[in-house]
Amino acid sequence: MGERDMKGEFQYQIGKLLAAQGTIATIATLDENGAPHCVPTPFLQLDERGRIVHLELLETSSTHRNLLGSIWFERPVSVTLCGRDGEVLVISGRAYKALVSGPLFCSFYREVRSRMGDADLAAVWLIEPLKIRDETYQVRKVIEEASHPFYSHLDRLVIKEDSI
Amino acid sequence: MSFALRKKAAETDLDRVAARYPDVPRLIILKTDVQRRGVFYTDGALELLDDALHQTTGTHIFGARDGKTAVRPESLLLRDGTSIITTPTPLEDAPYIVDVLDGEPWLFDNGVPVEPVDYWPAPAYYAKNSRSGVPMKHIVSARPQRLNIFPYRYCTFWNNDKGCAFCDMVVQLKKGRDILKIPAKLDPLEVGEVIGEALKEQGRFSTIFLTSGSITSGVRPFDDEVDYFIALLKEVGKNFRTKKYPSQMIGTAFEKEQLQRLYAETGLTSYTSDIEVLDENLFNRYCPGKTEWIGYKEWKRRLVDAVEIFGYGRVNTGLVAGIELAGPHGCDSEDIALERTLSEAEDLARQGVSTVFIVWSPRPGTPLGIYKNASLDYYIRLARGLHQLRVKYRLPIDHDSYRNCGNHPDTDLSRVLPLWENEI
Repeated sequence: MGERDMKGEFQYQIGKLLAAQGTIATIATLDENGAPHCVPTPFLQLDERGRIVHLELLETSSTHRNLLGSIWFERPVSVTLCGRDGEVLVISGRAYKALVSGPLFCSFYREVRSRMGDADLAAVWLIEPLKIRDETYQVRKVIEEASHPFYSHLDRLVIKEDSI
Repeated sequence: MSFALRKKAAETDLDRVAARYPDVPRLIILKTDVQRRGVFYTDGALELLDDALHQTTGTHIFGARDGKTAVRPESLLLRDGTSIITTPTPLEDAPYIVDVLDGEPWLFDNGVPVEPVDYWPAPAYYAKNSRSGVPMKHIVSARPQRLNIFPYRYCTFWNNDKGCAFCDMVVQLKKGRDILKIPAKLDPLEVGEVIGEALKEQGRFSTIFLTSGSITSGVRPFDDEVDYFIALLKEVGKNFRTKKYPSQMIGTAFEKEQLQRLYAETGLTSYTSDIEVLDENLFNRYCPGKTEWIGYKEWKRRLVDAVEIFGYGRVNTGLVAGIELAGPHGCDSEDIALERTLSEAEDLARQGVSTVFIVWSPRPGTPLGIYKNASLDYYIRLARGLHQLRVKYRLPIDHDSYRNCGNHPDTDLSRVLPLWENEI
């Protein structure tokens, strides 16, 4: 699959999961010491260019400060989407832009307040996906067993008495 | 005219400085350098400017380095939300170029694209006129998240030719009156109404800012300035349901009783009084009006007094950084200038007063306008030093931050100031 096709495929997979009911999204960032920080991100969406849009409500939250660290010092960011049926996508990327003013920011500000009441919005973060990995257990299990057969416990391969 | 070359050229000065300071974000180094060198907008970049969408140069309280009063982008935003407040600069002074790349404005240096930028977005009220028929943007101007009130465009230090040596405010007053039809002194009632109109735009503004030229008159010196600020802040305050609202005022160094009135009678939540240069001899030389009416040591003392009233981390002073090195009276070396400035800033910080700086932009027609500002290295070291003082003395600077002002590289670094909260 070419780079362009891959990007389209990423967008399709992410968009499908985000559109599905019951999907839970989390964002993981790194602080200045490299310690990870992971929190839910309830407003996550994709923009028309395929970038992940994360709404950060608090100016001094750890995630906001870590995202700033990502844009300043190119620290990676990771977003995980967990679907209701066990699908898991992990998207690695980097913070590309923080919108703090303008029509798009104001539109998200109104969206946040319409859903949460008296809430604020610190920034609209745009995250550029660089890599996507399907971490759905059933998918990973098939790949693992095919690619790394030496890591299976042997008892799983033993002939079961009831099958004799 | 286009300056954009798409091929990557040799390493730039910015690259070299960024390599020397790996702990300082490249975007903040870039901002600082753009402020230091200024910008030149190409015809293509100006064609992207749409005053329905973008803020164009408005009140012109201070002049541009190219001396022109023309419609151009008010300023720029970087990808991290950092503002670059900068002025159009003649090409012969080697500014950064704002040109077009793939339909978007970019900063270029020597033909090399450096970073995409956004023009500041236009607020909704910019399209409206006030009750007296003046465009609202000439009464209250905007930054990305701040409402600016410049209510009085004269400074009475100029009455006896004792204006600050880097300031062109009074020259701009005349241009503002003649070219832009901006009133020299604003009516508080009208200001309050324009603020009310601006606040209808949800999610746009997070602070109110006001500053004016000094007004020495009154029963005690500067009483008239204090009275005028109080009248303005009261009218602004009528728009809020809370007594206090996020706000910053840059005023003269007032006496304690004047500060108490400002705090008690208005919604003001922070106080800034610019000492301009942290060196007594240079202060006396370059700020003769401030010297005549208050003096360097008294200015510092009044800043410290203000902490008692406005609170720790809510009082600061500003520097026009670079004038301490300019001309025959400036420091001989950047190392000495830095050591002196940071030592004085530490004296203030240990007493609860923060220091911030703007990159000095030499303006035509001012006594210091013929000199160059300092090196990029100097500004980066100064930004680091002032930020580190805030860390050392646990001094928040929220009221003069990237959101509430945007003109200080040192407070950009303080976006990641420790929070000093109790961990859960």
